[in-house]
Amino acid sequence: MPLLEASNLRKTYRLSRKNQVEALRGVSLNVDAGEMVAIMGPSGSGKSTLMHILGLLHAPDANGGPPPELAFDGQKVVKLADRPRTRLRATQMGFVFQSYNLVPNLTALENVMLAGEYAGVPRSRARTDAVEALGWVGLAERSNHRPVEMSGGEQQRVAIARALVNRPKLLLGDEPTGNLDSTRSAEVLQMLRRFNRERGQTVLMVTHDPEVGAACDRVIHMRDGRCERSVVNQAPASA
Amino acid sequence: MRLIRQLARRKLRTTLTVLGITIGVWALVLFGSMANKINGLVSGASATYEGKVAVTDASNSTIGLGISPMRISVADEVDAVEGVVAAVPEIQMIYDPTAGGSFGISDTVQGRVAATDVRSGEAALAADEGRLLTAADEGSMVAVFGRTLADKKGARVGEEIEIRGFAFQVVGILQSTETVPDYVAYVPLSAAQHAFAATLPAPIRSAIPEEELVSQVMAYPADGVSEADLADRIEAGVPDVSTVTRADYDKQLGTSVGLINSILIGVALISVIVGGLSVINTMAMSVAERTREIGIKRAIGGSRGRIIRELVIEAGVIGLTGGFLGVGLGVLVVQAMNAGGRATGNVLFAFTPVIAIFAVVFAAVLGMLAGLVPAWGAARLDPVQALRHE
Repeated sequence: MPLLEASNLRKTYRLSRKNQVEALRGVSLNVDAGEMVAIMGPSGSGKSTLMHILGLLHAPDANGGPPPELAFDGQKVVKLADRPRTRLRATQMGFVFQSYNLVPNLTALENVMLAGEYAGVPRSRARTDAVEALGWVGLAERSNHRPVEMSGGEQQRVAIARALVNRPKLLLGDEPTGNLDSTRSAEVLQMLRRFNRERGQTVLMVTHDPEVGAACDRVIHMRDGRCERSVVNQAPASA
Repeated sequence: MRLIRQLARRKLRTTLTVLGITIGVWALVLFGSMANKINGLVSGASATYEGKVAVTDASNSTIGLGISPMRISVADEVDAVEGVVAAVPEIQMIYDPTAGGSFGISDTVQGRVAATDVRSGEAALAADEGRLLTAADEGSMVAVFGRTLADKKGARVGEEIEIRGFAFQVVGILQSTETVPDYVAYVPLSAAQHAFAATLPAPIRSAIPEEELVSQVMAYPADGVSEADLADRIEAGVPDVSTVTRADYDKQLGTSVGLINSILIGVALISVIVGGLSVINTMAMSVAERTREIGIKRAIGGSRGRIIRELVIEAGVIGLTGGFLGVGLGVLVVQAMNAGGRATGNVLFAFTPVIAIFAVVFAAVLGMLAGLVPAWGAARLDPVQALRHE
């Protein structure tokens, strides 16, 4: 059962009147519910752009080729207005970024609560949920610390708790282990794998790290704005 | 708490912005209180003309003050005009003809036979110390002082005080009314005639005997007769007099008071708006610095409305804080300046809770409006671009 169904995704960035970059040149792919998928490829291959479109942060270009299609959990989303797109992001998706992207003046607990509040969860329940989510990532004791008071690994775990607190169907990672050493990287990967297996949450990650790719069910290789090939790992490496 | 922490991230900038609003609101409180005082004085003075027509000599040129001499027989002529139910002779004098101008209402001496003018508003006056005048005081050199004038001149019940070169026994001090009576020394008609006559040029003094001297006649209309109609009839029926009704007084003073109020409130509003511009500046800088943070919030599901709300509330809190501080500072200055001015009779400010509420609400709304501009821009940011912002 596909969670994401995409076809003909194109994106061109116009940097100036004469300079434009074709980041995506007609990408089509499906991601099944419960899959853990890595998107790999050299820099400039369009993998981050693809993730931004799949994560509803950007819309694909509508002109210059066959009409783009994108369905999330069966719902067509290409022409969705900003408000319902934002609502889908808040309730059905979680984001983990390379540089953690926590709000600096908020504590770990408040950062996680923010995702709940944006999803429309009442404040008191958002707090309870956030405490629970910090427990999942082993940071219950650090809930009142601010990002500057935490290590990179801890910050990324807070970011994972924030991404998971609303129990989204899709977890999107943009180089989630990119800033971590190998030990912390393995920890984070293990954590994502655990949530994927135990809760059936779909995980889609952009990565340069072959170890991350090896731990996923499938790796989509991109080059020059196109999906070059999709390789299924028959026996994903245990994270 | 989150909000306070957010504002505390840039302590100096937030403090300076709050200070900008504080100064603006302070000016608003100060000038608003001054305008309020002027309005109170003028409307109080205007109210003394309610339901009556002041008749003065045609040569009288002072707005709201009949100080040109005329014969007491004018009162009989006025009384004889159709529609007049009562005509009460009075004397009005500047308390100290040698003193310069003062803020608001002039200090005056008013002489009439006590309790004869039942509709004059005299009945509403109450003694704070001593007693009120009675008809039996005619022939005596006694005085009852309004509260402000008493404080200014150091009048004390039981002691003598000099008014226009004559010694008067102070028999009472009135409770404060916050308007005209506070600035008046009430004396018997005979005493006023005596003091008034002494200052007149010899030809007038010899032409009008002291006991026939008045400077104003208050005429009261019969039921169903308007003050304006009565004023017309008096001017038509009594030679060489002019009349002033409440409408005349309001018309003569209304324009200039309105102008003064506009200037005062205008200056205050400019101050607050300058404060508001500093909020725009602060919030714009804050948004520029927090572009990435806004991108994060948008990415994890913060709607545009929510982002705008967060930033507008932040700006509103700056405005509200400045508003409270400005009102507090304004109250302190108003109280200090009023306390200082009480000794000289120049109480410049009338501060009311309405001014405080208006100033605080205005500051908060201004802050929020000022925050709306950068907040709107922040909410329109492309989340991906914002996330890449360093």
